[in-house]
Amino acid sequence: MSDSRRSFLQTASAGFGYLAFAGLSTLNASRAAGFYAALDQEELGNPLAPKAPHFPSKAKHVIFLCMQGGPSHVDTFDYKPQLNSDMGKTGSGLRGGMRRLMASPWKFQQRGESGLWISELFPELGKHADNLCLIRSMHCDQPIHPRAMTQMHTGNAQFVRPSLGAWTLYGLGTENESLPGYIALNPQAAAGQNYGSAFLPAIYQGTKVGRQVGPRPGVSRAGSNGPAVPDLSNPRMTRSSQRAQIDFIQKLNQLKIQRDGEDSHVEGIIESYELAFRMQDKLPELMDLSGESQKTQDLYGIGNNATDNFGRQCLIARRFVEAGVRFIELSHGNWDHHQRLRDQLPDKCNEIDKPIAGLLADLKARGLLDETLVIWGGEFGRTPDAQNGDGRDHNNKGYTTWMAGGGVRGGFSYGATDEHGGEAVEDKCHVHDWHATILNLLGLDHEKLTYRYAGRNFRLTDVYGNVITKIRA
Amino acid sequence: MSCRLALGRIACSILVALYFASGRVGAFEEETRLTPEQVQFFEAKIRPVLIEHCYRCHSVDGQSVRGGLVVDNRDALLAGGESGPAVVPGDLQESVLWHAINYRDYRMPPSGRLPSNVIEDFKTWIEMGAPDPRVQVGVVIHSRVSPEDIEQARSFWSFCKPVRRVADPGPHRTWVRSDIDRYVASVWNDQGVEPTADCDAETLVRRITFDVVGLPPTLEQRQKFLNRSKKDMDAAISDLMEELLSSPQFGETWGRHWLDVARYAESTGKEADVTFPHAWRYRDYVIRSFNDDKPYDQFIREQIAGDLMPAADDKQWNENLIATGFLAIGPKSLAEQSPRQFQADLVDEQIDTTTRAVLGLSVGCARCHDHKFDPIPQSDYYALAGIFQSTETFFGGSRSQRNRQPSDLIILPVQDRVPIQPRLSVEQLTILKQELAEKEKELAEARRAQRTGSTGGNNSFLNVAILDQMVSQLASRVASVDSTGRPISFCMGVQDRESVRNARILVRGEIDSPAQEVPRGFVQVLDAGTYRLPNSGSGRLELSKWLTSRDNPLTARVMVNRIWQTLIGHGIVREPDNFGMSGPQPTHPELLDHLAIEFMDHRWSVKHVVRSIIQSRVYRLSSRHDAGRLEADPENKLLARGNVRRLSAEAIRDAMLSISGQLETKPPKASSIASLGPVVVGPNGPMPVPMASVNLLNPAARDSMTAEQRAEAMRGAIRAGARNPNINPLEIPDYHRSVYLSISRSHIPRALDAFDFAEPSLVIGTREVSHTAEQALYVLNNPFVLELSDALARRLTQHTKDPRERVVHAFRLVYGREPTRAEIEAANQFFRKGDSSTRSGNLKRDEIAFRLLSQFCQALFGSAEFRILK
Repeated sequence: MSDSRRSFLQTASAGFGYLAFAGLSTLNASRAAGFYAALDQEELGNPLAPKAPHFPSKAKHVIFLCMQGGPSHVDTFDYKPQLNSDMGKTGSGLRGGMRRLMASPWKFQQRGESGLWISELFPELGKHADNLCLIRSMHCDQPIHPRAMTQMHTGNAQFVRPSLGAWTLYGLGTENESLPGYIALNPQAAAGQNYGSAFLPAIYQGTKVGRQVGPRPGVSRAGSNGPAVPDLSNPRMTRSSQRAQIDFIQKLNQLKIQRDGEDSHVEGIIESYELAFRMQDKLPELMDLSGESQKTQDLYGIGNNATDNFGRQCLIARRFVEAGVRFIELSHGNWDHHQRLRDQLPDKCNEIDKPIAGLLADLKARGLLDETLVIWGGEFGRTPDAQNGDGRDHNNKGYTTWMAGGGVRGGFSYGATDEHGGEAVEDKCHVHDWHATILNLLGLDHEKLTYRYAGRNFRLTDVYGNVITKIRA
Repeated sequence: MSCRLALGRIACSILVALYFASGRVGAFEEETRLTPEQVQFFEAKIRPVLIEHCYRCHSVDGQSVRGGLVVDNRDALLAGGESGPAVVPGDLQESVLWHAINYRDYRMPPSGRLPSNVIEDFKTWIEMGAPDPRVQVGVVIHSRVSPEDIEQARSFWSFCKPVRRVADPGPHRTWVRSDIDRYVASVWNDQGVEPTADCDAETLVRRITFDVVGLPPTLEQRQKFLNRSKKDMDAAISDLMEELLSSPQFGETWGRHWLDVARYAESTGKEADVTFPHAWRYRDYVIRSFNDDKPYDQFIREQIAGDLMPAADDKQWNENLIATGFLAIGPKSLAEQSPRQFQADLVDEQIDTTTRAVLGLSVGCARCHDHKFDPIPQSDYYALAGIFQSTETFFGGSRSQRNRQPSDLIILPVQDRVPIQPRLSVEQLTILKQELAEKEKELAEARRAQRTGSTGGNNSFLNVAILDQMVSQLASRVASVDSTGRPISFCMGVQDRESVRNARILVRGEIDSPAQEVPRGFVQVLDAGTYRLPNSGSGRLELSKWLTSRDNPLTARVMVNRIWQTLIGHGIVREPDNFGMSGPQPTHPELLDHLAIEFMDHRWSVKHVVRSIIQSRVYRLSSRHDAGRLEADPENKLLARGNVRRLSAEAIRDAMLSISGQLETKPPKASSIASLGPVVVGPNGPMPVPMASVNLLNPAARDSMTAEQRAEAMRGAIRAGARNPNINPLEIPDYHRSVYLSISRSHIPRALDAFDFAEPSLVIGTREVSHTAEQALYVLNNPFVLELSDALARRLTQHTKDPRERVVHAFRLVYGREPTRAEIEAANQFFRKGDSSTRSGNLKRDEIAFRLLSQFCQALFGSAEFRILK
């Protein structure tokens, strides 16, 4: 460990919660033995302290743009000229006995120097084509929304398992003293499992900020009004009288240590109050965008009806990255276009196009894109053939996700679906491979990042997963 | 799956016989003996039709598997989907496929009827016995775990029966108070360790009370103990302990420990998270069992096979049926489309929970392959799977978009005298049925509108979702009462199926890859082979007896280890659900065996074990920080000092309620989820339609409304529910003990969630202990905590007018001790500072004083000492 890291940890110990989790870590030290073996004893003290990755990497943070409902890949990022020429064809000649093929109603263009084919539905995002790394050969095991969404988050639709964000936090810790390390912005209502830590210590679970409500999968409403985080503010006391109260609590705690001797539990509790007090200030402060210039707000499409909601989320995400949060997940819903794709898909794309383009531009301008891995994707894609007139059905056999920044190869397209976009056929990338690759980009070996539970070592990718090295820059 | 063809030494001799006899290893001969004409008919007339018209929605490789039906292999076709077998050879009327292609019940293929000559071909084919060469090549899985491996593993410590061994405490003879102490002290001799001092009486009374009943001692209990202990500590401990053990709070606390292991919750979890409105009966059963000190072996037998046990009377039968809820309350993925997959997952969950909870073994690992660490071949898993596959599980639910896998419930032989749900008049019931019929019609129309896109897009989706949920709720409401409108008392649980069937091993655990059949049975390494499973029953009764036999080396050990962990802070085996070869060795194997034998000798009495541990001297050891001892034994494996523990989430909440005088000690009737009824509470379901809107159906309210108003009232209620996401019926203030709070798998009450409550979808033998900012935020800002702080402040003001005495009394109530001088000074400082800073407002003097007192109480609740058990 480098001297600077060591000294950081030492100085951090005063205000960081170095001892905060000592009680917990004794319990878990043996479980995480394999993973922690290489680490210094002092780091064992705080499971949230930054940890060295398994190998050097560029990506330090993740912004995961999660699209719920299954965005159509053949109308956005997976250009299929033959789908156009075979429009209307049907019957047994086609893979899986498809219904009538439906050409994409939208034009594709080659964008950027790299010439990536991107649909006209993403005019703004297309400008960043040279930063995008498209994975056009995604597939997963689940054809229905919730299960596919769970597999996308945890790798496993059957059992309750820790989520990608929880594993990341477990693997890398966080650099922030006043904020949670894993934040789910505008999360799906009560979809705890997708942000959960399962058998990993609760400290690694996602903190939900803002709230999504809706009667159906993917129907999201902006969480700007409701309480962002439960119990984040006191309905009665001023800040200073609450500080006086905390001082009194801490005095009692210190007197207890004087009386009963050192105790990691008491020290942990002392730290928890200080972190909570800081969080009360810091979290609302970061979510308050009034300090951002008009120019920046415009960049994200804030103030425009269609893009305001997601624009805010994207800008908040950037602020969290700056503040040192490790993993931020954003949600955007309503991509489940079983019908009227022609009317509805442009709206959806429009809602995210400018905000994401703004986010990429802003991260780039601030020199943060290199260390921030931006991931975009839904739980699956949609079929090339038509349903209910101009709708498309679920398709977990082939779809597209993309990444940008964080050490991925920009302007690159990996893998391919068949001639119509029905199934991944070339360089297939299963969700397990996708997980392995994301961890790899963060400097984590998915086979070494393990946690012992119920008598065996678990990992995000179970017994699967191959890292796609080709997409590293 | 690479199937080893060389038949060398394989695990089960039965299999050898079976597959040698067939002549061709790995092929199910009798199933493939088709004439060339039959094969030709299938290939020419049937297969192309299936491929062209059915595969898209009904094949493993197609776009989806609709209705759980797969038609691309013979097994799957015969097994069928949600509606039953697609094809019954030779029986047209029983073949769902036949009706479907004739557009009866189903209309398949949906794009248009098949030509009549093709339909005729299917008739011919089914009548000739549905010959189908698409048989998966029979696979035999050979275990890598040999009989020798298993035999050898029987000498592993946890697979050997416990034996009593003598222990010599040596020089610590005078320290020893009980047998337990003898075992603990004997280890010290070798290590040259001296035990620390006993803790003081004030610490001990708090420790015992929280441990036994999960609550702080009352002032009277505390005083009595302090007085008594001055003369005779042993007697003081005994008196207090006996008083606590006989109080109903014992079962509420110790029952909850079992509920962690039994992954108790009142909803399915997973995607839809549909409520289990009858799960609370199992919760109450568990609490009753601990209060009655029901022998643990009987407790286990009832939970595994209560339905099969003889019952002296209906009351007993009731209890036995409710007990089997253990097997039914697990998490369930109702979105699963394939009933076979759902069933396989259900059985898997039952095997995993049963073996880990009772045996501390993870047999579930062997679903897909031989166990990696333990001598458990995959065939052991399927031997157990046969037992559970021959069992039907009843967990309730009503079919809807979000619930594709509903089941029935068990009607209890003894019906509640006062039903949980209000009674319906016959008239009300009639109206309810009418309403159901209406909504069903509306739903069908909305579906049609959605398909054709004839009404405004998104709305039809929303309408369908809401109507679907309403139909589902109304249907279950109708089904919840008898023909006179009287609510029926149901429970969750299991029953044997009519036909008993051995399971087939599944290659990699995949339902479409069956290999050889295995006879039902138990885990070989633990089984001396003395149990014969009858063909007349599932074998669950025998399983329950085998689990609780004195010859079973694990069951008693696992339970006494759980009790030890609860009282001492660490298990003797530190992973209480893992007694397998990958688990940690016991720190005190002789002590573990001693406790296990004592447990069995004393009719498996949990109270006996609790008693003997609390009476030991080890239990009394001080947990005071001691640098030397900490360094010598950082993990306290030698038990030469006490462990500092944090109170459980329930104890923290209950103690705040109790100290502030707000605790409702009387158990509630049922639970809030029971009154919510069967609704979807999960993230991807519709918001629950509030019962209030369904109650609009009551005639009095209803008759005064026009049909239009009625419909509007219902929609209004629904919209209100959707618009007010912050009103959560599961977070309504509740003053009962925490064990009675409703646990939905997607929503754990905040007071519990913040303090490391057990994840209710997993078997949890040890809860995490963390100190997080979230906990601090909860204590500092949560309205319920503020309310309880006010209540305590009121209690103090009623107790005395003297401000100083209020402080002293608060310390007694919250910490169970007198404050120190430094603490009084700190409190005074807090009041002085707060007084001057609050004075600027318009508040009256006594209002300011009350607010400060409340803040002071809240601070005590928030302090480390309150949360920590020394």
